[in-house]
Amino acid sequence: MSGSASSVAPHEDARPGIALACRGLGFSYSEARAPIPALREVSFELCAGGSLALLGASGSGKSTLLQVVRGLDEAETGAVLLDGRAAGDVGYPELRREVGLVFQVPELQLFAATAREDVAFGPRRLGWSGDEVEAAVDEAMDLAGLPPADFGDRHPYALSGGEQRRLALAGVLAMRPRLLLLDEPFVSLDPRTRRELARILRRLKDSGVTLVLATHDVDLAWSLCDELLVLDRGRVAVAGAWDFGAAGGHLLAADRLREPFLVTLWRRLGRDPREAPRTAAAAAEALS
Amino acid sequence: MTPPSLHGSPAIVDVAGLHYRYPGGRTDALADLSLDVQQGQTVAVVGANGSGKSTLARLLGGLERAAQARHAVAAGHDLMSEAGRLEARRDVGVLFQDPENQLVAECVEDDVAFGLENLGWAPPEIRARVDEMLERFGLGDLRHREPHLLSGGQKQRTALAGVLAVPRRVLVLDEPTAMLDPAGRSEVLEAVAALRDDGLAIVFITQEMDEVPGADRVLALERGAVVYSGGVAGLFGDERLVRRLGLGLPAAGEVALELAGRGRRLDGPLPLTLDELVAALAEPA
Repeated sequence: MSGSASSVAPHEDARPGIALACRGLGFSYSEARAPIPALREVSFELCAGGSLALLGASGSGKSTLLQVVRGLDEAETGAVLLDGRAAGDVGYPELRREVGLVFQVPELQLFAATAREDVAFGPRRLGWSGDEVEAAVDEAMDLAGLPPADFGDRHPYALSGGEQRRLALAGVLAMRPRLLLLDEPFVSLDPRTRRELARILRRLKDSGVTLVLATHDVDLAWSLCDELLVLDRGRVAVAGAWDFGAAGGHLLAADRLREPFLVTLWRRLGRDPREAPRTAAAAAEALS
Repeated sequence: MTPPSLHGSPAIVDVAGLHYRYPGGRTDALADLSLDVQQGQTVAVVGANGSGKSTLARLLGGLERAAQARHAVAAGHDLMSEAGRLEARRDVGVLFQDPENQLVAECVEDDVAFGLENLGWAPPEIRARVDEMLERFGLGDLRHREPHLLSGGQKQRTALAGVLAVPRRVLVLDEPTAMLDPAGRSEVLEAVAALRDDGLAIVFITQEMDEVPGADRVLALERGAVVYSGGVAGLFGDERLVRRLGLGLPAAGEVALELAGRGRRLDGPLPLTLDELVAALAEPA
């Protein structure tokens, strides 16, 4: 497999340029009856500046994996390595601070009286100076398409659903993450807002941020991400480059997933699915 | 499921000239809204975030009171009267956008049984019906799980199983597939199509343009007003309106539109599905 998200053996040393490596991660939720295993022996790595689509059926462990990488849950087995360093290594806590997680429906967690205050909460907690916080808030709000001059003083609840979603994203971006984890960021957004958010993520990717995008939207994942990781009941089913071999491709075989629309279209037109375009515009270019 | 007995108006949802305003609001959240859904019909409702779709769902379910309407009937009940709204709450199944707001019990099977218990079904009948719904939505292995330990998609399927467990004549589904994986999405769309064929009237709110062609008609909302009501092809064929509403097209339509922009116009109506696009592309350019 050519992609850098390739499955790796646990305990292997991280190579340079690897922003995120997971080694044999195991995690269970505890319930009265019995522990519910959520992650089992999950190993993969992702290059700095890479973009990874995290796919899998409902309940396959996508959100849990993001929580463990972010450090909100501790893995029971295995390790998360950031830039080659593991918890306990010098500099690891600083690296962990550079991991940003945008939760599912993050707008539910907006709380401050103004948009600006909400975005400033994270950077302030990191102990940055007033000027640094102000600069980070301006930059993050601009990146999220909410110019601070227009939106800074608005009450978060007075914003539309799409604006609230982007405000929550700005709150994470203000901490200047180098690794950005997104959990179903497109859910419940209208198509226009979805396109705006996809543009924002593309800009972040171009600026060198490493992205992990957990989503059920295979078409958006295909248009945005260079590599994929498919979880199946907590295990890695597929890791690495997208691969739609003529024989059927791995996404057809994976539990409860499907191929991107444009890949199926290419197959139906008798074209090589491995050369399928990533966007409708690229498809039209090839067909016209 | 046995076909529901039908009486009263042939349109099972029949709303005309409805206005709604939030408490303290300065403008109408829904203005002069009209909607009719016959038995055995699905009407899709589309529109930007904040255009009034979820408010419409709550009104049809008898959970909100309209300020005024020429008439407003759902499942034979007058939504303008307190008594009618109470009956609508029983006979109109509403799936809310956020499943968190819908799950009330300690475990999955109790949640699915909740509506049936409220209706006073006998325990053996409840058990049989709950088993059937758990099977249908792939929840059998999760029946004893506590809702807070479910994934987003599992929560959504549990909420849907609970709504569909109770026999109804009208269903209002607010983005029922938003949290689902691709297979779960197909399962829900198939279940909804089967219920329509059983004679239910279904209002299907969605942000997924690829789900709209499965509906019999579509209603587009803009800031609380109906700006389109009619066939699916008519909406997506109106490029200017689609752009103004920020809707986009089904994936097949996006490709066709990009092709047209490059000078290759496909014969016939705008293709809205993979099959239609493949067929249109087979025609000589």
